[in-house]
Amino acid sequence: MNQQFSPASLTAGMESVGVRIDGVDLSYGSHRVLKDIHLDIRPGEFFAFLGPSGCGKTTLLRLIAGFNTAQRGQVTIGGRDISALPPHKRDVGMVFQSYALWPHMTVRRNVAFGLEERRVPRAEIERRVEAALDLVGLKHLADRRPSQLSGGQQQRVALARTIVIEPKVLLLDEPLSNLDAKLRVQMRQELLSLQRKLGLTTIFVTHDQEEANTICDRIAVMDDGIVQQVGTPQELYDHPANLFVAGFLGTANVLEGQVRAMDGGGTAFVIGGASPIPLPHGIEPGAKGKLMFRPQNLFIRQDGGAPRHGHVRLMGVVRHREFLGASIRYAVDIGGQQVQVDAPHQAGDALLPPDGPINLDFAADKARFLRR
Amino acid sequence: MSRTLHGVAAALAVMLASSTAAFAQDPSGKLVVVTSFPKDLTSAFQQAFQKAHPKVTVEILNRNTNAGVKYLQETASNNGTDLFWASAPDAFEVLKGANLLQAYKPKVEGIPDKVGAYPVNDPEGMYAGFAASGYGIMWNTRYMKANNLPAPKEWSDLAKPIYYDHVAISAPSRSGTTHLTIETILQGEGWEKGWRTNKEIAGNYRTITERSFGVPDGVNSGSFGIGIVIDFFALSSQASGFPVEFAYPTVTTIVPANIGIVKNAPNKAAAETFVDFVLSPQGQEVLLQPAIRRLPVNPATYAKAPADYPNPFKDKSLGASVNFDVEVSQARYNVVDALFDQLITFQLDDLKAATRAIHQAEAALAKKPNEKGKALVAEARDLVAAMPVTAAEAADPQLAGAFTVERKSATDAVPERQAQVEQKWAAFAKENYAAARKKAEEALVLAR
Amino acid sequence: MTSLALSREGLARVRPGPAVAAVLIALFLLLFLVVPVVQVIFVAFQDKTTGAFTLVNFADFFRNDLFMRSFWNSFYVSAMSVVVASLLALPLAYLTTRFEFRGAVLIQSLGIIPLIMPPFIGAVAMQLLFGRNGTVNLLLREHFGFSIPFMEGLNGVIFVQSIHYFPFILINLSASLKNIDRAMEESAQNLGCHGFRLFRRIVFPLAMPGYVAGASLVFIKVFDDLGTPLLLNVNDMLAPQAYLRISSIGISDPMGYVISVVLIVCSLLALWVSALAMKGKDYATVQRGGGGLARRRMKPLEMVAAYGVVLLILVLVLAPHIGLTLLSFATIWSFSPFPDALTLKHYDTVFVESGQYITNTLLYASLAALLDVVIGTAIAYLVLRTKLAGRQWLDYVAMAALAVPGVVLGIGYLRSFYDVPMPFTGQPLSGFWLILVFALAIRRLPYALRACTAALQQVSSSLEEAAENLGATKLRTISRVVVPLMSGGILAGFVTSFATAAVELSATIMLVHSQSDAPLAYGLYVYMQSAAGRGPGAALGIFAVIIVGLGTYLSHVIIERGRRERGQDH
Repeated sequence: MNQQFSPASLTAGMESVGVRIDGVDLSYGSHRVLKDIHLDIRPGEFFAFLGPSGCGKTTLLRLIAGFNTAQRGQVTIGGRDISALPPHKRDVGMVFQSYALWPHMTVRRNVAFGLEERRVPRAEIERRVEAALDLVGLKHLADRRPSQLSGGQQQRVALARTIVIEPKVLLLDEPLSNLDAKLRVQMRQELLSLQRKLGLTTIFVTHDQEEANTICDRIAVMDDGIVQQVGTPQELYDHPANLFVAGFLGTANVLEGQVRAMDGGGTAFVIGGASPIPLPHGIEPGAKGKLMFRPQNLFIRQDGGAPRHGHVRLMGVVRHREFLGASIRYAVDIGGQQVQVDAPHQAGDALLPPDGPINLDFAADKARFLRR
Repeated sequence: MSRTLHGVAAALAVMLASSTAAFAQDPSGKLVVVTSFPKDLTSAFQQAFQKAHPKVTVEILNRNTNAGVKYLQETASNNGTDLFWASAPDAFEVLKGANLLQAYKPKVEGIPDKVGAYPVNDPEGMYAGFAASGYGIMWNTRYMKANNLPAPKEWSDLAKPIYYDHVAISAPSRSGTTHLTIETILQGEGWEKGWRTNKEIAGNYRTITERSFGVPDGVNSGSFGIGIVIDFFALSSQASGFPVEFAYPTVTTIVPANIGIVKNAPNKAAAETFVDFVLSPQGQEVLLQPAIRRLPVNPATYAKAPADYPNPFKDKSLGASVNFDVEVSQARYNVVDALFDQLITFQLDDLKAATRAIHQAEAALAKKPNEKGKALVAEARDLVAAMPVTAAEAADPQLAGAFTVERKSATDAVPERQAQVEQKWAAFAKENYAAARKKAEEALVLAR
Repeated sequence: MTSLALSREGLARVRPGPAVAAVLIALFLLLFLVVPVVQVIFVAFQDKTTGAFTLVNFADFFRNDLFMRSFWNSFYVSAMSVVVASLLALPLAYLTTRFEFRGAVLIQSLGIIPLIMPPFIGAVAMQLLFGRNGTVNLLLREHFGFSIPFMEGLNGVIFVQSIHYFPFILINLSASLKNIDRAMEESAQNLGCHGFRLFRRIVFPLAMPGYVAGASLVFIKVFDDLGTPLLLNVNDMLAPQAYLRISSIGISDPMGYVISVVLIVCSLLALWVSALAMKGKDYATVQRGGGGLARRRMKPLEMVAAYGVVLLILVLVLAPHIGLTLLSFATIWSFSPFPDALTLKHYDTVFVESGQYITNTLLYASLAALLDVVIGTAIAYLVLRTKLAGRQWLDYVAMAALAVPGVVLGIGYLRSFYDVPMPFTGQPLSGFWLILVFALAIRRLPYALRACTAALQQVSSSLEEAAENLGATKLRTISRVVVPLMSGGILAGFVTSFATAAVELSATIMLVHSQSDAPLAYGLYVYMQSAAGRGPGAALGIFAVIIVGLGTYLSHVIIERGRRERGQDH
């Protein structure tokens, strides 16, 4: 992208606005797709709806754009209720997953479309289209047809076409899913820098946690039509509210066992193949739940020494291993339950053989007891 | 508002029309003629008439007879047609019955009361005959030669086995003139015998067409060899160069083609002038043109005709052998049509199969006579000829009532529904034809 | 609070635009289709003697052997016509869209020409060529001593109907094939599918919406057509039975109207079944700027075979026109393989006499076709893109026009509009030539509607949402995005409606009130009623074919150019 270009000309006089979603319910027939959604997206924020396919994230995005109608609840943008507005009056820009570029128009005509619909004077349209194309680095392709462009180029046209109308909010529906891996990484950085430059409140729908983590300020994790948790990527990763969030962001080890009272007070999580794992305060004996921790919370101890202070020793058998380059991920069987361990890798290190015994030290204070 | 305007306009038009009539004898304006006649005939008259009466513009609306009648019925409330001009007298009867014609006595002298055995004009003066035509047999000479067929002369010839699958006719329910041919045979030979003849000929049909012109068209192109057609179709085809010939059988009716003024005609004066023109010597001569070839109703006109031109006023054999009873015909009109359709048109395959079997059996018996076989064939022929209704029943208004909607009063007996009657007749025919075929096949076995 | 939000959302949902359009279309259909038809067919439900409501006439229908035989004959002929028409259309559509085929546009254009066979002369020409004593059989008998019963009975109807109506399948199938994303085909090839299996398992199923649209049209059209069976003198089919009964003079038999009702019901049923079959098969394949099948090069041997097949089919389907051409130059053509001699005099006659017919036809048919594509696009949009209650009914009612015999519509128009005087002139409204245009538009609306629906089905809805999202109103979105993307289908619909309206006769004949307003079909009818008129009639028919054929060719050129400009063809 052209770094010399000042985005001010595109966003002159624009102020970032927030988006509020209040108690939205949406059903198709008897199927409830969105269940009592409440969200508060701050002005200028890069916000993600993250979840598996079918979780309702795209439905929610299309609701904001006006393509779906909720049975209950309202959507406000910058304090204004837009629930009753038709899509073309909402001033939210949407980039479609398929880009939805019109095949019968050139790139220039595609980008100019929204301005023409707004009856912007000819000269200004030309200027702003040029600026937008410049911003996405496609000035030289303005007279091509969409079918003559590569996927990445089409993506940029779709983006230019959307931001040229200076929307209050930018909606991105899986915008990177049709790109190859390298381009995807590059484009997400470009998206981020563009968003920062424009200061545009942006909502990004994705099923890819890495995408969401790398570029979004905050994420709403959704499943089954319900917002499971809202937070920064780090909050979500470190303090998942439930097993779904834990599993969806990063790799989670989940162990089943019983919560029992410990002799010295407090409670511990008891599983086969390990000493009891102490739990934080506030979890009553007999509580139903599971223990969640990350692969990096485990350390391989093949020296036979005692566990370090605060660590719990787990004894298991290596089931299989994956060579990831920087690390090696072992799947280990602990008393019938499987956990994953990441071991940093240096050149020359030997890999542990499959089906061999393995001792793991577990930083118990990093584990979280999740009731659901 | 617009209705008022319309009324004013109409009043103005009437004033205008009457004033023109007062000041000038010659009519003017637009004359709308609904006709089933081919372009050859209509444009010839149109040109001749406009030459004689240049102030009138003749608008020809071409519709087949049925559509023409329907059109006049549907548009009667706001009639825009001056004249109805078509062949079939029965179409005029329908219009007359619906009170859609108005009487006019032509000023032309010298037209006889009858042509052949048929009255030229409607006794009440609702329509007038202007040209005569008779039904006959038309054949394609190339076809006959290729199939080694002799030229037929009489209706009975057409029943011969040699003509099997070579003859065509249009359905009497679709063509008023075909109806008259069928009716003529019925009146000439009597109900039972007449139907026997009709069915024996029908056993040789290749097809039954829906349009009258379908028959000459097919003979012209050679789709089939022989057609039962009205004379002018054949004569004009011949004149156009097609390798076809035509003969009048002894039992035929010469019937007039007619013209009638429509009730509430917008341009009555021009309409009357047109009728007079058509009957005038000048108009009658137009009929002699090669592409038209109809028989003038004015005997004087034949003086100008080519030598071999048929002349029903001179040649008394032409159409005179049957004394056609219009009232008998009228009473059973729809019944005869429906009988023909149900017993012949829609059962043609079965009828032909039975006929073929009879022909084969007879051919075999001729070589190897067998009394029992002969009796079987005779039975088969009787089965084919059998009729579900007698002449008396056919004339019964109760039965005819199934085909018309008019009910004179609420106490009138409710007739059977047309569909019920038809189903009964069709089942009767189907059964008889199947039985006839079986008997003929048995006879064939005996003759082997 | 909640109720307030609800009412506001209610407002958001019910936008006036579509509703207004729907009401206008409904009014049009009501006025020019439903009311006139009901005016005629209510007789079917009337007791003939008392005038009371009854269903006894329908009982009579099912008890009558002739009607039941007619019913099954109609069904058999329609089904067989679909089969034969598919055999004709599939190779043409597939070869011209899927391969680099020289003359593809020409073939596509020639392929639609059978649709514009003017009435009467088509069957005459076919009889002259394929009849028992037609060219082919005369030659066969002379040289080989046998003949083939192409034109006997139901065979003849199937033969003529499939040739006449197969373009419906060709047009719709070609449009569908062109819109299939090439990735679909390539991915199947990649998975090891090729040759005929590829066609059967991937290409054909993807082109299914087009095929079903075309096939259902053929079925219904054949089911309802009366011209061909009547001209071939096959009376024991439903439509001819209805016609024969309705048009009998002096007889008031309700059965004709009962059959009309049965025809309408059967057509609706066929449409419903085809809609059911297509449910959930909304193959919007236009993704990234559209695709279209990649055109492949053929190997020399394949090329020869392909051209052989195409040529054979073209000769077959153009046979009526070849016969017609011969007839228009023939002096006398009777019981001989070829005319006795050739002449130009028929063209002379037509030139002098028929200029008015041609200009009238062009005017009426293009206005009617224009009306059709506007209404067709609107209905397709309402049905596929809105949630309006009862929107499906617009489609059903418009399609039902297919099932209304032309005579019924004609009589209905006379009944409905004759008593309405035109402002100022006081002439009956039914005599106004625009009424004729409406009748033609109603009769041909189903063609345009199916083409538009198929076209819209293949436009991905995200393309529309993108436009709305960028601030375009629904109306602007339709005019700037939807309609341009549908243009191929709309043009195809226009051409079909135009071409067939140009040769429509059955409703026309009832509604022509003056010769100066008469269209070409009427002129043909008049010519074909006399022996001397056969040549000029054929010449006039040739004019009709040339005019409409040229129009078709031009539209194909325009479509192809559009595709190339869009860069979908590289």
